[in-house]
This record gives sequence, C-alpha cells and structure tokens, in this order.
Amino acid sequence: MDPRPYQICSNCVMDTTDSLITFDDAGICDHCRTFERTIKPNWRTDARGRAEIERIAEGIRQEGRGRDFDCIIGMSGGIDSSYLVYLAKEELGLRPLVFHVDAGWNSQEAVNNIERIVDRLNLDLFTEVIDWEEMRDLQLAYFRAGVPHIDTPQDHAFFATMYNFAEQHGIRHILTGANYSTECVRNPIEWMYYQSDSVQLRDIHSRFGSRPLVKFPITSILRHKVYLRYIKRIQVVAPLNHMPYIKADAMTLLADRFGWQPYPQKHFESRFTRFYEGFWLLGKFGYDVRRVQFSSLILTGQMTREDALERLKAPPLDAATIAQETAFVAAKLRITEDELMGYFRAPNKTYRDYRSQESVYQVGAWAMRLLGLTRGGKR
Amino acid sequence: MLRPRISPCLLVHEGGLVKTERFGNPKYVGDPINAVRIFNEKEVDEIIVLDIDATVRNREPDYDLIRRLAAECRMPLCYGGGVRKLEHFERIVSLGVEKVAVGAACCEQPELITKAAEVVGSQSVVAVVDARRPSPGAPPTVLTRNATVDGRVAPADHARRLESLGAGEILVNSIDRDGMRVGYDCELVQSIRDAVSCPITALGGAGSLAHLGELFKHFGIIGASAGSLFVFKGVYKAVLISYPNRADRDRLVAESLGPRGGEA
Amino acid sequence: MIAIVDYGLGNVNAIENIYRRLGIEVVAVRTASELAKAPRLILPGVGSFDWAMRLLDRSGMRGALDEAVLGRRIPVLGICVGFQMMLRRSDEGVLPGLGWIEGDVRKFEPTRSGQLTRLPHMGWNDVRSSTRDPIFAALEEPMRFYFLHSYYIQLAAPDGEIGTADYQGDFCCAARRDNVVGVQFHPEKSHQWGVGLLRNFAGSGTC
Repeated sequence: MDPRPYQICSNCVMDTTDSLITFDDAGICDHCRTFERTIKPNWRTDARGRAEIERIAEGIRQEGRGRDFDCIIGMSGGIDSSYLVYLAKEELGLRPLVFHVDAGWNSQEAVNNIERIVDRLNLDLFTEVIDWEEMRDLQLAYFRAGVPHIDTPQDHAFFATMYNFAEQHGIRHILTGANYSTECVRNPIEWMYYQSDSVQLRDIHSRFGSRPLVKFPITSILRHKVYLRYIKRIQVVAPLNHMPYIKADAMTLLADRFGWQPYPQKHFESRFTRFYEGFWLLGKFGYDVRRVQFSSLILTGQMTREDALERLKAPPLDAATIAQETAFVAAKLRITEDELMGYFRAPNKTYRDYRSQESVYQVGAWAMRLLGLTRGGKR
Repeated sequence: MLRPRISPCLLVHEGGLVKTERFGNPKYVGDPINAVRIFNEKEVDEIIVLDIDATVRNREPDYDLIRRLAAECRMPLCYGGGVRKLEHFERIVSLGVEKVAVGAACCEQPELITKAAEVVGSQSVVAVVDARRPSPGAPPTVLTRNATVDGRVAPADHARRLESLGAGEILVNSIDRDGMRVGYDCELVQSIRDAVSCPITALGGAGSLAHLGELFKHFGIIGASAGSLFVFKGVYKAVLISYPNRADRDRLVAESLGPRGGEA
Repeated sequence: MIAIVDYGLGNVNAIENIYRRLGIEVVAVRTASELAKAPRLILPGVGSFDWAMRLLDRSGMRGALDEAVLGRRIPVLGICVGFQMMLRRSDEGVLPGLGWIEGDVRKFEPTRSGQLTRLPHMGWNDVRSSTRDPIFAALEEPMRFYFLHSYYIQLAAPDGEIGTADYQGDFCCAARRDNVVGVQFHPEKSHQWGVGLLRNFAGSGTC
C-alpha cells in the first residue's frame, strides 16, 4: 500500500502510480533527471550519430558479404520495426532478413503492414509460429498468477525466437527498433517486470500452467545478454537512436510510400497488447502505460505536457470497446468472460511473489552502467 | 455479373492449422480462429476449413471449433472432415455453416449425399474429389482418407455420379500438386467440368495469382481455392496471411474473363 | 430490437453476431408468445422450400407470424429461403408459402441467354437498386452480395421489386410490400454490404 500523497511530475506526466518515483524540489521526477543527465548528453542524432551508424552498417555489410542476408530485424508490424526495416534497406544499404513471430494475436492491420513493406522493399521474410496451445496455456498461467506483466509470454517468445534463430544460423547482427525518441522513459519494473526472466516464467508456469512447455521458446537473461553477446558475439544494434526519429513523420512516410496502415495507439498491432495496455493493466493495477509513452514524447519534444494531460483524462478504450475486447480475449483463450473477469478481480500480486532472477538483473545493470555500456534503463 | 470465387482453404490437424505437401509433411501454421478472423477482415469471398484428422481417426466433427469459426465469418464457410451421418450435416449447418464438405463418405456411403441434399439442400452439400496422378500425365484416380484408400474410380465418373446423387458443388483437389505451387491441374478440372453442370471449386497447386487467372481464363466462373498461396510468403515459406484486395481481385477477374464477361 | 425467427433453419448465429457487434439488441425467438412481443423480425432460411415450410409449421409460430406481419404490420426481413417462403408457392415444392407477397418462386431455366445455367447460382454478384429502398441506404456502390440458390422470385407485379441481379439475365433479388421486405442473397455473409443492410433494417422509420 502506498501511503504517499498523489504527485505528478511537473515536467512529464509520470506520477505516483509508479510507486518508486522520486521528485526533486522543483517537482521533476527521476525519469526526467535520468534522461537529462545520462541519456540526452550521449544521444547523438546529428551528423556524429549518423556517422556512427554508418560505420556500424558498413561493418554489417562487410561481414555479410556472400551471404543471403547480413542482419535480422524483428518486425511486429508496428511503427518502430516497420520504419526500421525501411531505414535498414533504403538508407543503410543493408540486406536484412525480416523476422516475424506469430504468437496468435496478430491483428489484420499488422499482417497487412508486414506484407506491404516486405513486398515493396523486396525483402525475405521468416516467420516463427508459436504453438498456440502452449501459448494459450502460458497466458492463462500468467492471468492466474495475478501479476501485472501478463504480456510476458508474447515478448519472451519474440526475443527467444530471434536469438535462437540468430544463433542457429550464425547471424551476428540483430537490428532492433528500440529508440530513445519514443521510449526514453521505460515502464517501471513494478508495472512490467523483465520479460526475459526465464526463472519467473518457469515458476509461474509450473504453478498455474496445465500442460508442459515443450515447443515454446525460452531464453534467459544470462544467455542472451552474456553468452550470446560476448561468447557468440551476437550484437544488437538500435539504428533509430542514431538519427532523428519523429514518430509522426515516420508514419506519414510509411503510409505514403507503402500504404502502411496506422494504429490507434502504440502496440495495437497485437490485439492482446491492446487489451492488456488499454484495459487490464489500468483497470486492475492503476498503471496507465500512456503516461510512460507520452512522457517519452514530452522529453523528446514530440508532445506537449498539456496535450498529454488532456489525453490522459479519457480512458484509452471506451466502455463499448472494452466489452468487445474482453469478449474477444475470453473467446480466443477459450474461457468464459466470467473466468476472465474473475482473474481481473482476484488479488493483485507482484513479480516478487514468485521466483525470479532479479538479483542477476540488478548486478548486470549496475555492471553495464559502470562500464558505460548502457544508459538510463529500467527500474 | 457473377464473379469467380477465390477461397482460402485451411487444414486443421490436432486443433491447429497446418499446410501439407502432397497430403503429407504438415507444417504448423497457427491458431485456426485467428487465421479465419484475419481472412474475414480481409473480406475473402469464401473460406473452406477441412479437419484432416476426423475421418481417419473416426472422430465426430469438432462442433466447438465449428461454432467458433462460424462466429468469425461474415462470408460463407464450408466445413469438412469426419462427416459420416445425416445428423452431422444438420448440426454443422445449424451452427451457421453454409456448406458441408464430404470426402470419404462419397465412396463409402454415397446414399448419404442424397439424404443430406433432401434435408439441407444440395447447395449445402459439397463433394470432395481428391485425385492423384501416379505420374505426370498419367490418368488420375480418386483417393480418400488422406490419400490412403484407393477409390478405384476416375475423378470425372465419380463427380458425375455424385452430382446425380444430389451434390451441389464439386471440390476437385489435386493431391500431387498440393503445396507444390506449380499451378492447377487444369486438365483434371476440365474433366470434371465436362462431367457435371453444378459449380466446381479447384484446389491444389496454386502458387501465384497468375495461376488463378489462368484457371478463370480456361473456365470462366469457377471457384479457385488455395492454401499455400494465402498462408506462406517467400522462399522461406514464412507464415503470413495474405489475400488480394478488392481492386486486385476485380482486375484479375477482368483480365482473365475478358470482354465476354462471366459465362457460367 | 431485432427478433430472429428461429424455427430451425437459417444462420441465426451469424445474424445475431452481426447485431451484437453493432451494439443492436437482438434475440432469437422460438415460440409464438416470444414472437408476439417482437417489434421487428427477421425470417432466415436455407435449404429446400418444403422443408422450411414444414419446420415453420412445426415450430408453432406460423400463426403468430401471420398475426405480427399481416395484423400488427411490423417490419419483417426475409433472407434467401425465408424470402422465398413469403411468396405464394415454389417450383421447388408442393406446400404453399406464406403468401405475403404476390408472386411465385421459379427455378432458373436450364438455359438462359443461350448458355447452360449452372445451378445453384453461387458466389458474389452485383445488386442494383433503382428505387433507393432504405435497406440499401449508404451502402458502397456497386453493391455486391453473396448468393446461393437455384430458385428465384417472380413477382406478380413489378412495382414490388427493389433490387435486381444479373445471372445470364436480370432477375428480382429483393422485393418489398409495405412492411414486408425480402432479399434473395445472404446479408449475414456479405461482409460490409450485408452488415450495412442489416443495420439499415434495424434503423427506425420506413425500413
């Protein structure tokens, strides 16, 4: 229970629903301070940044010579990964293999957007289809666990499959659409615990799952951040951080050039994510991820605080849509709406109620910051 | 003008969607409900869903799956797999399915076709004719039960008989071209066209929209069904659901049917 | 509120689903007393004419249906065989129809325009409406719907015709007589045009 009086940052729109938030005397939160102090000074989107990514791209091109492709890009159909694919091919002259993980929740818009971009850019596509029965069972296990991070199965599968594929095929470069421009403020761990923590995933599954996880791809933080990174030398590059990335402009470009269809909100390419972020997380825990997303846009000058506050006044999904999406999710998971809402009303748990590798993350994050290998980061 | 139909055909195996090659080697494609939902949003003409386990494993049709599929379809749905009794037809149709496809029963109990046509109407009875050429150019024969049982009959003769018994549509499927993406077996389709006057749907071999166009050019108004074409993309056979949009479909039909329009 | 006459035939589920997703109240009625309270009806149907008439009689709703449509004159939409049932009789069977619309149900001729008529008429076809009937309001032109039938409506008088389609020659595919409207095609299986038509039928006014 948080006995703190309500407070909202005077600069962005993060507030005390993030229970670990701290404010300085000017009422500015630690997310903003972290951005100003550690991210912004080192975030180069000018000629220097461009030169840096060109250098990296040249390295990728060299290594990939003679091979069918020189890097892989995970594409969800969302704006970041879609724009990244365009950038990689057209501006950086790379030859990416576009990689898509189908966890069973693709919206028609996402599928359509992937098709258009892959076709128009004349790229190859690889899809990994997660076994739906296992996915469904794992998702239900997460619902039963009562934790906020019920989107973990999708995210975990995505990363695990990508890394497995890269390792199997000896690919050393993974391009990601991660970017400070729209993500410099990260979701608090309290809201979305590390999706790569396989100890937590296995614990939740063993307690609440009803069938073995055989085909479901599992990775672990040590595996992909240490073994694959330093032993197999698989490098993850985030090109969107090396040039000006303005979301609205990116959407316009993709719509004009490729007929890309925009989504009403971030992450709506998966109908589960839409339900999760638009209703479940907010309704059950009071966590509104729009605060995080808008705060990032405020800090990078793409949205005003007034506009964000205005938009936060209304819920992300109206009552009719919530009813429709609840029915959809229940039907898709083959449970009744009563059962689903039963999970909604059950007591709230946190990641600390289950086994985890949190200490490994903490040590790792500390070490990475010390070595200057990462900036900002989740907390 | 009546248009030729373009229908995705989805195979259900152990509750999941698969795609086969020559009726073997099933590759997992995903959740059937999500696939049908996406096809529905793409406004496909019709959709065919075949449960390839039910008959060989002697199981009843999966009514729960059928009900959920039907709920997603704002277009006609044809369902097949494990249909062996009149009651199956009645129940499947009552769940909101337009057409019921029968394969093995056409050989094993052809009188069922007549009974079903009387009750649900012949327009809802689709006779599936799976045919294989032992080698290219050799005459095809009918096989049933996932190509494990020899029907000992030529496809055209079989189709003719089934139409006279009351089938309202013939779904002719080339086993040897299944998943091969080399084009439809137009000779096989022609033999069926010559034998029956009811509507026909061709399946097996489509690998591009050009193959569909070729089919329409030959046969005018006909159903063109495909699996791989709408479910896989590119050299890695990446699973991605696709379907030509309305403008592309209209253009394809206009180019294929030409100035004479839709001759049935 | 829309009441779908559930006498055992026709895609009740599909029609219900569409109305639910549109947020329009819908219910399936199975008894005479349920039907008597309905403000607006849909009469679906697939299969053969006689079989449909027989099931309707067996349902016990026949009387209540006539009372609602001819007596109370509430709006009713007939779909496919449901539409055919509203006529006097059909070439397909021996039983008489409901007789709400003057005309008969005929089988498509074996040849039309000099060509063999493949039956059933199956697939997506364009529908033209010259009368601007409210059930077609705001539908994207050219309208197209899904057809699956071997018999078609032949009206006694042409003024009831509100829609035609071309299957080797024009035929009447939609008709209206006051509160009674019928469509030969399947709006519950015709994507946006069907959803639009069903929405129009649920609207207030002359629909």
